[in-house]
Amino acid sequence: MSAAPSSANVSRDPLEPTVLIEGAQTDQSLNDSLLNHVWRGAGRGWWMLFGCALSALGLLLIGITYTLYKGIGAWGNNIPVGWAFGIINFVWWIGIGHAGTLISAILLLLQQKWRTSINRFAEAMTLFAVICALLFPLLHTGRPWFAAYWLMPYPSVQGIWPQFKSPLTWDVFAVSTYFTISLLFWYLGLVPDLASLRDSSKSRTKRIVYGIFALGWRGSGRHWSEYKWSYLLLAGLSTPLVLSVHTIVSFDFAVSVIPGWHTTIFPPYFVAGAVFSGFAMVATWMIPARQFLGLKHVVTIKHLENMCKVMLATGMMVTYGYIMEHFIAWYSGNPYEQGQFFKTRWHGPMQGIFLTMVFCNCVVPQIFWFKKARTHVGVIWFASILINVGMWCERFNIVVTSLHRDFLPSSWQNYAPTWVDISLFIGTIGLFSTLFLLFLKFVPAVAITEVKELRHEMEHEAHHASVGGGAGAHG
Amino acid sequence: MSLLFRPRHNTLAQISLFVVAAGALGGLGGLMVYARTPYARGMQDPIEQPIQFDHRHHTRDEGIDCRYCHNTVDKSPSASIPPTQLCLNCHSQIWNKSPLLDPVRRSFIDNKPIEWRRVNKVPEFVFFNHAIHVNKGVGCVSCHGRVDLMPAVEKGEPLTMGFCLDCHRHPEKNLRPVSEVVNMDWKPDGDPEETGKALAEENHVHTRTSCTTCHR
Amino acid sequence: MSCDDNKEARAKDRQKRRSLPIVTAETPRPSTATAAQAAPRQSSRVAAPRYWRSIEEREAAKAIALGAVNEFPPGADELAEGSVSRRGFMQLLGASTALATVGAACRKPNEKIVPFVRRPEELTPGNPLHFATAYALEGFASGLLATSHEGRPTKIEGNPDHPETLGGTTAIEQALILGLYDDDRAKVLRRGGESTAWRTFLEDTKARAQRLEANKGAGLRFLVEPSASPLLGDLRRRILARFPMAKFVSYSSTTSDGAAEGPRLAFGQPLVARHDLDKAKVILSLDADFLGEGPELPRATRAFAARRAPGPEMNRLYVVEPALTGTGAMADHRLRLRGTDIPSFAAALVAELATDTPALAPLAGLPKSASFDQRWIRALAHDLQRSRGSSVVIAGRRQPAAVHALAAAINAALGNVGAGSTVTYLLSPFDGSSGPKALGALVEDIAAGGVDTLVITASNPVYTAPVDFKLAQLLPRVPTTIYHGVYEDETAALCGTMIPATHPLETWGDARALDGTVSIIQPLITPLWGAFAETQVLAAFLDEGDVSAHELVRRYWFGQRPGNQAAAFDAAWEKWLADGVLPGTAAQPVTVPAVDGQALATVIGTQLAALTAKADGLELGFVNDQRLHDGRFANNAWLQELPHSITKHTWDNAVMISEATAKAQGFETGDVVALQYRDRSVEGPILIVPGHADDAVTVALGHGREGTGESIAKGVGFNAGAIRTSDAPWYDRGLKLARTGDEHKFAITQTQWTMSPDGRKSPPPAVDATLAEFLNDGSKFHEDLEERRGPLPTIHEPVDYSHVQYKWGMSIDLNKCTGCNACVVACQAENNIPVVGKENVRKGRHMQWIRIDRYFTGPVADPEVINQPLGCVQCETAPCEYVCPVNATVHSDEGLNEMAYNRCIGTRYCSNNCPYKVRRFNFLDYTSEYTAARMMGTNPDVTVRARGVMEKCTYCVQRIERKRIDTRIAGRDIKDGELETACQQGCPARAIEFGSLNDPNAKVTRLHADARRYDLLHEIGTRPRTAYLARVRNINPDLAKVD
Repeated sequence: MSAAPSSANVSRDPLEPTVLIEGAQTDQSLNDSLLNHVWRGAGRGWWMLFGCALSALGLLLIGITYTLYKGIGAWGNNIPVGWAFGIINFVWWIGIGHAGTLISAILLLLQQKWRTSINRFAEAMTLFAVICALLFPLLHTGRPWFAAYWLMPYPSVQGIWPQFKSPLTWDVFAVSTYFTISLLFWYLGLVPDLASLRDSSKSRTKRIVYGIFALGWRGSGRHWSEYKWSYLLLAGLSTPLVLSVHTIVSFDFAVSVIPGWHTTIFPPYFVAGAVFSGFAMVATWMIPARQFLGLKHVVTIKHLENMCKVMLATGMMVTYGYIMEHFIAWYSGNPYEQGQFFKTRWHGPMQGIFLTMVFCNCVVPQIFWFKKARTHVGVIWFASILINVGMWCERFNIVVTSLHRDFLPSSWQNYAPTWVDISLFIGTIGLFSTLFLLFLKFVPAVAITEVKELRHEMEHEAHHASVGGGAGAHG
Repeated sequence: MSLLFRPRHNTLAQISLFVVAAGALGGLGGLMVYARTPYARGMQDPIEQPIQFDHRHHTRDEGIDCRYCHNTVDKSPSASIPPTQLCLNCHSQIWNKSPLLDPVRRSFIDNKPIEWRRVNKVPEFVFFNHAIHVNKGVGCVSCHGRVDLMPAVEKGEPLTMGFCLDCHRHPEKNLRPVSEVVNMDWKPDGDPEETGKALAEENHVHTRTSCTTCHR
Repeated sequence: MSCDDNKEARAKDRQKRRSLPIVTAETPRPSTATAAQAAPRQSSRVAAPRYWRSIEEREAAKAIALGAVNEFPPGADELAEGSVSRRGFMQLLGASTALATVGAACRKPNEKIVPFVRRPEELTPGNPLHFATAYALEGFASGLLATSHEGRPTKIEGNPDHPETLGGTTAIEQALILGLYDDDRAKVLRRGGESTAWRTFLEDTKARAQRLEANKGAGLRFLVEPSASPLLGDLRRRILARFPMAKFVSYSSTTSDGAAEGPRLAFGQPLVARHDLDKAKVILSLDADFLGEGPELPRATRAFAARRAPGPEMNRLYVVEPALTGTGAMADHRLRLRGTDIPSFAAALVAELATDTPALAPLAGLPKSASFDQRWIRALAHDLQRSRGSSVVIAGRRQPAAVHALAAAINAALGNVGAGSTVTYLLSPFDGSSGPKALGALVEDIAAGGVDTLVITASNPVYTAPVDFKLAQLLPRVPTTIYHGVYEDETAALCGTMIPATHPLETWGDARALDGTVSIIQPLITPLWGAFAETQVLAAFLDEGDVSAHELVRRYWFGQRPGNQAAAFDAAWEKWLADGVLPGTAAQPVTVPAVDGQALATVIGTQLAALTAKADGLELGFVNDQRLHDGRFANNAWLQELPHSITKHTWDNAVMISEATAKAQGFETGDVVALQYRDRSVEGPILIVPGHADDAVTVALGHGREGTGESIAKGVGFNAGAIRTSDAPWYDRGLKLARTGDEHKFAITQTQWTMSPDGRKSPPPAVDATLAEFLNDGSKFHEDLEERRGPLPTIHEPVDYSHVQYKWGMSIDLNKCTGCNACVVACQAENNIPVVGKENVRKGRHMQWIRIDRYFTGPVADPEVINQPLGCVQCETAPCEYVCPVNATVHSDEGLNEMAYNRCIGTRYCSNNCPYKVRRFNFLDYTSEYTAARMMGTNPDVTVRARGVMEKCTYCVQRIERKRIDTRIAGRDIKDGELETACQQGCPARAIEFGSLNDPNAKVTRLHADARRYDLLHEIGTRPRTAYLARVRNINPDLAKVD
């Protein structure tokens, strides 16, 4: 098949000024280039990263074991700070999970073409992030062995049920649903690529393994139509989830009476924050990945730029959220809220973390007003990391800073994390990285089929442009 | 390349998917069923005691009132297992040579308590009070079963939280005249439902289902 | 039982109590019935000779900890069995428990029920019994009621029928229970390193006694606690009769000679002053912490609180003291003054009074070292004089004789002395001094080699004695030293023979209260680890050591009623035991002669001159630790973890100092400094305390223990006694502070001083006002309170509790709470609350269900203090409830906020959402390591909580349910006052009232309608069931702040 003329890439869509696929690509060349990183053996770089990831994962195991052995006392928590690192990490990871669903579902429904080459990536992240998040709700309870099933509504011999008024019960449903849908979504998108892995793999065992997971995909027209149909359905299903999950997580705080928690703006600003951190995390990983896996031709600077725009937008929303908190505190005339926002946050013992948050989440994204910054890989990467830090600090402010000074000064207490807290946090990052590196190793990081499709569409359009009429070849 | 998968593999896949799903659900369901079996609840399992004490003989043949031995049942949370002394009130006179009663006599002489094995047990965080139940006309049989028919005593009822709540929500069916609490064969004459309601009136039965009624 | 308006119930209680002594006499430990118990009752009245059993016990007590296990709980009854297996249960964390709870898999463990062999007739397994007994600290008795479950004492209350206790208790008395079951207690009678038998000891003593008799007992010395016990006094007389040359030396680091010497100077004989504060309208405390320590505490607190009701009759309290005390916190006017300046202050006050009180004129010209705020003194003087006959001046034990003498003179001059007035004087039951002076004589004897046999029954003198006596070095010089103590402490380590002492709840004896009333001390349990009573040890020197303590006390009192028939005596005896007091034993007040001002002036003049000519430099002030006393309670974890009433620090003592002085010296809280006094030095951490006198330092005694046997006390705090000398037991100047560079992190439960540390505009949690503001109905005070009670507008239809049988509610009167901490420990004992240790308190994980919030208002240098006890307020719309995902905390039909521990999964969400932060969490496993003995002390009506479980105050729901069941069986309602929560019952001030708000005549209902009532955090709409009554300060108009 002939390489598409370069004019083919000149899009007439003003929303797509730049190319989404660079260079002259054929299905075959795409196949090879995108499967390449799966087939070629693990390089030294990969092993080094994997080693670090594994050692961090080890920390996680140590942390979990010690927590279960000693009890929550192994953490820094106290009264009044009943929640700390555990919940912070939970919210942080859940938030990071949001980019995937947003990209896969909402951008799909909005027919944003640029999503195609990063969605697989982002979905995988969602999955792994949610796995990390899921550790904490159970682990942070005093008696996980009961929590595991008392939270589930089933007719027990005790004749009592969970408390359906409690946001924690809502969480159980929200997060598990979210996890299931994300998993299905990610896997479904993977099926055709698994098939092509099956077909292109050399060894019999690999063929069998990939074959099993490919669920007998033969790429027949019927397969394709059903695939498309169900993929769209899942997209429709998970769209509300993007909003619902973090809304419900925000209820954990919003429905309480604690100054700094008891805030109606939480749902929207949690969702915005989630997308914010999600995109930051995608950028943090995508930039090195496209470098080392040779994906530059499909994950172009244009993609990164679009992501920057999303970060800028969500960053502004988050900032607005912060401002509203303060405004309402002042406007309501509630002395406790005023104390929390104007005294404790700005001048309290945890002032440093608050200021870090303001800098990372409100100031840093502003550089994305400039195209130079949006298109400079280094800048984006650095900024995205800062944003991740900032979002973690935000959760710290909400959870710990609010709790450690509430209504009665007599019960104010300071908070300091223990080594267990920290190793659990680092540990989850290790878990995330481990899963992610494995993902890069064994499945294509980019949805090959969709990219090919995209190529054909563009070629098609190009054809129209030049010849006018005549169907483009379909693979 | 050689065909790895044949059409039957599809069927196989579908079946295995079904099996996995069914297994998961079945396992959970099975657990829930198991939790409701007499075995899991330790019922219908006569317990060997250090002394071959036969409730049938003492209550049915001799017609001894439960409260003769369990004599704090109406004034204390615990019904109390009788002290050795009490056994000997009779057995110093009758069967005072019987080898079966050696352990009892030894206990009294050596002043070493008899170590009975517990049959009916609620967890330590449950504070059950015999006195109030007995005084409000809940018969022994309601929770302990037909002890008068047990050669060796066994757990007669599940004694789960559900079991307690069931009665605390609808006590009528377990009420009887206070005079009849120890009567194992008592049957309400007339409609049980009505009798129960009447008795609840008469005995001022106000069952409570607050947590602290049993958990403190 | 405590409410005086509840005669019938109390009579019943006596009925119950009356029959009990027999139980304790013979079968306190049913399961380990002895030969004596086996025998028929009549003969067993004479308890079996102890020593036979002691030998057995010694043999048995190889594995001592186990001793407790074999020895009782299984035997006690199935409940006891339960309490032990409960411990097992608590260890069953994990799947097995989980499944058991769903009713699945885990098969019932093979568990034993161990009934009695012979059940004491008055014992109903499952129902607690109450015993009247007494406990003597500092030589004076307070009457107690002890609760016992199947022979295991579990709780201590005050005896309402006791004239000095009136049903109140102190934190220390509440904590006795823990001390009883302390596994660190000395368990073996040993000579040198060898354990030996009581009988062997008796034989040795007999032989020694005969030897000593030869030379009239020269070289025989007894070092004992000051005690007013008639029996001990009698033994003492008989011993002295047998050994005329022997000496009894009573010593306690607490008592001061000044207290007895002062009245002697004034009236010519050593007397004990007894104060009736319910008759006092104006009270001046000269460094007297009568609300915080000493034998007068319970009665004084009750009487003082009784007159705090705002109105014309409200009393006014002036306090002059160096460091803030519980009394200072209650003061309407407080003058912070160095302890060494207080004598001069007294002199200045006398001078001021003399102008209008001629009787004091001769004393007008006494020397003074410092000048004082004349406005203050004048106002005070006028106030005292305005209420002649109903004013009182109380001098503190730490002040020298001169101050006590002046106080006596003032009281006499103002007509406050005599029956029916505020001060009455009683003959001192102690013979001679019990301060350093007495001990000094003994030390000289030892140094001179004049002591051959030294018997020590005083509590740990090696630790408490003034350091310059060098007792530790001298003791080994005594050929024979016999120590009778509860622990293997510093003294035990230096004594040849160590006799384990009985715990107050293990022994027979008698004791005299401050007013002279005698109580019989009866045991609730025979000694856990085979200990012996002080009376037995003394009796050994009369060759009567084989007589049981029970027999000793019976014989003595039988002898006191000559010509008495045994039968009649038995009846009387049983009544004494049941009532807890011997009727008609109160001492008659002494009618004192008029004070000879002239003579007094000359005597005091010289003394004051000496006092006021003190060296310069920082003042060093010692004080008994309000929790550990002189250190004898240092191994009691409840007391160690009890927050100090002012500083709220636990597990420590500190170098307390004013902010100004600390600044001047360049120190901050936590800096470890070396206190250099004369040629000695000790290191301790600085703790800045508001309201402390400048240029002065206060350090608490009783810490820094090194007793080998005391694992809990060891190494907590520092030993201030290391620089305490005999000539300056309480105050002296010339202290230097030197920086060591070390840092110390205190374990403080309340880190904030004020009610709005960050200047937020929230309404104050603890409200106070002046009497003037209170009496003016239109004042801002009433306006504010009006806003802080009553229903708030809400979109929810509030649940209507007016139709339920009982609507439980509580009221706490801030005007009465002195912050004495009795409620905190009472709650801890009643509800099986664990201790968490210093490190966890530092982390903010202390567990006490009721805490006393202490707020300072006004300048740090000279603040006003307000105490606010706070447990769960049982919100009707409780924020904790709707957030719990598993329904572990829900509302009862009566509106109680219930906590089902066994359902809790420990998300801590409820605690986060609790605006009062009264919920406590088991962050670690605090309970499963309990020894069998400790387990026996737990209240069987309350679950011992496992790791990872939330807990909180429940208004003592176990008491509610017990009483409910009892009354439902009896077919009646619960009467107001017959049901009390532990905190309420323990409170000596009766600041806490509890009852049903649906009973219009209930005390609590009336208080909820009081003009001073307000709800804490009312504005957030939690509708708490606990209401607070605002504090009112009775300000002297002449001293009203000019602002």
